[in-house]
Amino acid sequence: MMMRQTAALFVDAYRELNSRKLFWVTLMLSGLVVAAFAAVGIDKQGFTILWFRLDFIPLNSDILSPALLYKTMFLSLGLKIWLAWIAAILALITTAGMIPDLIAGGSIEMMLSKPVSRIRLFLTKYAAGLLFVTFQVGVFSLASFFVIGVRGGEWEPALLLAIPLVVAFFSFLFCMCVLFGLLTRSTIASLLLTLLFWFFIFILNAADGALVQWRSMAEAQRDALVRQVAQAEGNTRQLLIAERRSLGEELPEDYHPTEEEVAGVNPFLKGLRDKRASAEKTAAQAAKWSGILFAAKTIVPKTGETIDLLERTLISMADLEALTGSSDMPRQTTVDEQTAEVEFSQYDLSMRSATILRERSVLWILGTSFAFEAVVLALSCVIFARRDF
Amino acid sequence: MTTATVDEPVNPAVRSDGLVIDLHHVAKTYRGRIRALCGIDMQVRRGEVFGLLGPNGAGKSTLVKILMTVIRPTECRGTMLGEPVGHKATLAKVGYLPEHHRFPPYLTGSQVVDFYGSLAGVSRADRRHRTGELLELVGMKEWAKKKVGSYSKGMRQRIGIAQSLVNSPEVVLLDEPTDGVDPVGRRDIREIVQRLRSEGRTVFINSHLLSELEMVCDRVAILVQGRVVSQGTIDELTSDKRRYEIELAAEPDAAAAYFQRALPEAIRHGEHATLTPPAPGERETDRAPPTHSPLTRRVGYHGQLATGEWLEIDHATLRIGSTEPATIQPIIDALRERGAVIRSIRQNRPSLEDLFMQAVTDPSTGATLKPGADRARKGRTP
Repeated sequence: MMMRQTAALFVDAYRELNSRKLFWVTLMLSGLVVAAFAAVGIDKQGFTILWFRLDFIPLNSDILSPALLYKTMFLSLGLKIWLAWIAAILALITTAGMIPDLIAGGSIEMMLSKPVSRIRLFLTKYAAGLLFVTFQVGVFSLASFFVIGVRGGEWEPALLLAIPLVVAFFSFLFCMCVLFGLLTRSTIASLLLTLLFWFFIFILNAADGALVQWRSMAEAQRDALVRQVAQAEGNTRQLLIAERRSLGEELPEDYHPTEEEVAGVNPFLKGLRDKRASAEKTAAQAAKWSGILFAAKTIVPKTGETIDLLERTLISMADLEALTGSSDMPRQTTVDEQTAEVEFSQYDLSMRSATILRERSVLWILGTSFAFEAVVLALSCVIFARRDF
Repeated sequence: MTTATVDEPVNPAVRSDGLVIDLHHVAKTYRGRIRALCGIDMQVRRGEVFGLLGPNGAGKSTLVKILMTVIRPTECRGTMLGEPVGHKATLAKVGYLPEHHRFPPYLTGSQVVDFYGSLAGVSRADRRHRTGELLELVGMKEWAKKKVGSYSKGMRQRIGIAQSLVNSPEVVLLDEPTDGVDPVGRRDIREIVQRLRSEGRTVFINSHLLSELEMVCDRVAILVQGRVVSQGTIDELTSDKRRYEIELAAEPDAAAAYFQRALPEAIRHGEHATLTPPAPGERETDRAPPTHSPLTRRVGYHGQLATGEWLEIDHATLRIGSTEPATIQPIIDALRERGAVIRSIRQNRPSLEDLFMQAVTDPSTGATLKPGADRARKGRTP
C-alpha cells in the first residue's frame, strides 16, 4: 500500500510539473545549451563553430586539447552558469508552488484524510521536487557526456557526478523554499525569500572569496619577503666575508658575521626586514579573518563549493596549472631588493587560492550542508505534522 | 442516475455496540483561545445516516476535520470504526468530502477518483473498475476525460462524492455535500446517500440545509457554539413538540378574538385555559373583540390548557401541543359554536428548521445567537 501511495504521489507531482509549461521550457533550453557545446570545435588549425572557422581566437588543439576544452566549457558554462544559476532559478520557480499548493485549503484536507502519515506525505512531496531536478540535470549531463565523448574523444564518467552534486546543491535551496512555503503559504513569498537566502549565501561566498584572495596575497607577499630577506642576508654575508678575506683577514670556514656587521654593509636590509615583519603580521591577520568566515560558513549550506566539487574532480591540480599559466609567466611573487616593491605573480596567487579552496574537505562541504538541510527539513516536518489545516 | 452500486459489502463487525463513531469529550481550542469545540459527546451507529447541523462557525467542519486527522484535537476520547480517532490506517475505510475541496485542476475527473483512490490504498485493478462505476453513479461519465479545472461547482461536487466512495468506505463523511449543487444534483446526492444506507454503510452529513438533512437523516445532532445541544432521531427530538394546528379563515385580529373567546383564561393569564361555552342566546356579534386587546398587539401568544398541553397563537393559527385527537375536539367545538370558519386542521411535527431555530435562539432574550465559535475570550478567528 505504501508503494502504491508513493507512486501515486510521484505520478501526481509529474502531472503537476507537466502542467506547468516551464518544465518543458527548461528541458528545451537544456537541449539548446548542449547543442551549443556540440557546435564548438577545436582542431590543429584552430577554433570552429559549426563549419565556421574563427581565426581571431588564438587557440588550437596543440595548446588546448579538445577534451579539456569541452570539460572547461561544461564546467564554466554548462555547470556554473546554466545548471547552478539559470536552470536552478527556473527549477525553483517551477517547484516553489509545490508546498503552498499542497497545503492550500481544500487540497490539504484531501491529502491528510488518507491513510498516509503527514511526515511521509511531506517528505514524498519533497523528494518529488528533487526528482524533477534530478531528471533535468540527468538529461543535461548525459547529453553533455555524449557530446564530450564524441566531439572531445574523452569518455569521462566523472562528468555524471554533476547529477548528484547539482541535485544536492538544489536541495540546499529547496529545503529553505519548502520551509518558507510552509510558513508563508505563498509561492511568490517562498520563492523570493529563497532567492534572498541564496543571495545571502552568495554575499558570504563573495566575502569568503575576497578573504581567500587577501590571504593568498598576504601569504605570497610574506613568502616573497621571507625569501628575499634570506637571500639578501646570505648575499650580504658572502659579500662581507669575501670583502674581509680580500683585505687579508683570516676567517674560519664556519664564520658568521654578526647582524650589526651585515646591517652595516647592506643599508636596504632593515627596510626589507621591517616589511617582512609587517607582511607576517598581515598574513596572520588574513589567516585569522579567513578562518573566522570559514567557521561562519560551516553552518550554512555550501552551494558554491558543492558545484566546485565537480571541477575539483574533473580538473586536477596539474590541469589547473596548465590552464592558469602560460610558459612565459612568472611563477613566483618577487620583491625588488632595493625598492622592496612586491611584484605579484598572477599564477602564484591563483594557485595559492586554489590550494586553500581545495584544502577544504569534501566532508566539510557536503557534510555540513546536508546537516543544515536535515535541520531545516526536520523543522519543516515538525511544523507540517503539528499544524491544524 | 444509474443503477450502479457502490459494491463490496460492509464489514458488519464494526463494534459490538454497533457504534461507528463514538466520541467523548472532543474539544478544540485554537491558538488565541478560540474554543471551537467544547466537549463533544456524539455517537453514530452503524448503517445510519447521521446529520450534524448547526449555524455557521458552530464547529461542524472542525469536528469532521478532527475525525479525518486534518485538525489535531486539544482533547479527544473517542473511536472511529473501533480505533482511536487519529489512527491513520483506519482512514482507508473512511470516505471524505471536504467542504471547500479543491482538486488539482490539471487532473481529469477520472484521474481525480483514481489518484485519491490510490492514496487511500485501493489496488489498481479495483480503482480501474470502480472509477468508471462511480463516475456513472454520480452522472459524470461523459465528463470523465475533461480536466477538473473546467468543471462547474456542481460537477466538482459530484466528482468529490465519487472520490469519497472509491475505497468502498464503511463510513462516509460528507461536509456540505449539496453546496452549490442544483436541485437535480441534490436529488441525485440524496439518492446516493439512500443507496449507501441500503448497502449498510454509515453516512455522516454536515449541512446547514435542513430540509436536505430532514429527508435523509435517521439521526441528527445540533451543534451550537461548539456544543451539542441535542442529539437523537428526528422523532425523538420532536416528540414533545408534536402538535395540532387549527387555522381559521379570518384576519389575524379577528382570529385572535375567536381564540380569546373560545379559550379565555388561557389567553388572558397565559395558563390553565378553560373552555367557556357561549352563554345561552349569545351571538357572535354581541361579543365584538376589544380593539386593543393584548392579542392584537402581540401575536405569538403562549399559554396552557387546563389539561396541561401547551398552546400557541401565531397569526390565524392555533397550535396545541398534543397528538391526541380527543384534546382538540372541544376546542373545535368551541370555535365552531362561535361561528369561526376553520380553514384547516393539521396534525404536525416541528421541522428540523424549527428545532434548529429553537437551538440557536437564546431563550432569555429571544434573539438568535451570533454565528461563530465561542468567543468568550478575545482572540483571532481560526
